[in-house]
Amino acid sequence: MNMITEYLSYPFIQKAFLASLMVGVLCPFVGNFVVLRRMSFFSDAISHSAFAGIAAGAVLGIDLSLSSIIVAIFISALIAFLSEKTTLSHDTVIGIAFSGAIATGMLIIGMLKGYRAEVFTYLFGDILAITGNDLLLLLIISLLTVITMLFFSKPFLQITFNRDLARVEGINVRFFEYLLFFIIAIVVTVSLKIIGIILVTSLLIVPAAAAKNLASSMKHLFGLSCIFGLVSGIAGLMASVYLNTASGPTIVLVSIGIFFLTMLRPRR
Amino acid sequence: MDALSVENLCVKANGRHLLENITFSVEEGRIIAIIGPNGAGKTTLIKAILGLMPYESGSVTAFGHPVKHINSHSRVGYVPQRLEFDRTFPLTVSELIGFTVPPIYSFPFFKKEGEKKHIVELLETVGAGDLAERGIGSLSGGELQRVMIAKAIVNDPRILFLDEPASGVDIEGQERFYDLIKRLNREKGLTVVLISHDLNVVYRFADTVLCLNRRLVCSGRPEEALTDEVIKSVYGEMMGAYIHSCQDHD
Repeated sequence: MNMITEYLSYPFIQKAFLASLMVGVLCPFVGNFVVLRRMSFFSDAISHSAFAGIAAGAVLGIDLSLSSIIVAIFISALIAFLSEKTTLSHDTVIGIAFSGAIATGMLIIGMLKGYRAEVFTYLFGDILAITGNDLLLLLIISLLTVITMLFFSKPFLQITFNRDLARVEGINVRFFEYLLFFIIAIVVTVSLKIIGIILVTSLLIVPAAAAKNLASSMKHLFGLSCIFGLVSGIAGLMASVYLNTASGPTIVLVSIGIFFLTMLRPRR
Repeated sequence: MDALSVENLCVKANGRHLLENITFSVEEGRIIAIIGPNGAGKTTLIKAILGLMPYESGSVTAFGHPVKHINSHSRVGYVPQRLEFDRTFPLTVSELIGFTVPPIYSFPFFKKEGEKKHIVELLETVGAGDLAERGIGSLSGGELQRVMIAKAIVNDPRILFLDEPASGVDIEGQERFYDLIKRLNREKGLTVVLISHDLNVVYRFADTVLCLNRRLVCSGRPEEALTDEVIKSVYGEMMGAYIHSCQDHD
């Protein structure tokens, strides 16, 4: 206990703690839609596409978070557009955009001179390297996302339940689908520095999937997923500090532990 | 005023005409049944009217306005043939109906006073008062249809589209369902556009029938429009014999 108190007195641990609190709520909150709409491949594609943005940012000398957000939004819009305009299945379109973005990222990385450590920070994430600016960006994105999704919760949920019914009820399905894609893209991208490209999808889907195992209503689903995300974030961070392990994977493993615990509940 | 007016509607998909030059109108407060064999374009017609499917040419107006304008004020109710949704969706019946209750854009913690009470009363109207807190995935076919009717009428629509609403529902459930539709039509002046394969239902509940087989084969009062020749041409010889016995019975 004394050790945890001592660790919490370090500013970088305090920042990491705040970041895990915010990401722990934000990712599962948005992740509920990813799970309900079976979009985990989409979020995975977006996180990997952000790699191209990070590489481009490093080459152009602009902020890596900004460049990754721009590329992620572009790729999500491209996926939405191609899904709408072609007869190809959604996962095929995602596969094309995904591999295109990864190939572009790898090509750009090859142009970089020398070893660029900050680029690889995004690959695996480093919550202990979070800066004050990163925290501020995360706070702004978290607030905007939660307010937007709560305000438009009815259309988002109605479309998730059945698109035709939503259309008949006068909801602009196209607008809200694009908006949801952009929100997922932004949330995935701002979480990259904490969890890493490889694991960020886990924090989106695992707490939401665990909550879905227990929830009997939307209210329960959103409440439980945020609690599971929060517990995973804080317990994972503390465990990683105590065990001297990488924070991102530890947070994800805690959330997977919670998921398996929820599986013990007898089937309804 | 006509509740619904469809003029020269043509729907084409993959180079094939699904509907050709469909023209009809429905007076306000009437129940109109659309019949026809499988693949006749009944569901396509309703989907095109509701803007769920593009049409090649023609026009659709409801109460004098293009349907999409009516939709935005939720004056149209729709119960689809088969509701496709994820049965593991953790959603209660009252939450599902609540999605449709205005204001659509608002924070969930600022719920309109009396919303819950309104939803429960509505569910009681359709004989589903005890289902408010049940999970949507646990409902039987008949229960789901009643819930979908409640959802379709929650905003007091002026016109209701029902696409084979009683399919998969037992005989007793079907009776209750059509009695409810008739009651809503009588009490609220609701205009109903109904697709049914059951000619008994058409004779008992519809004011007008449209017989469809990619084109409009007949229209009018069921007992006048559904002549032996029309039925035979659409459904074949066996069905012609069935109709006679059906009319005699009534």
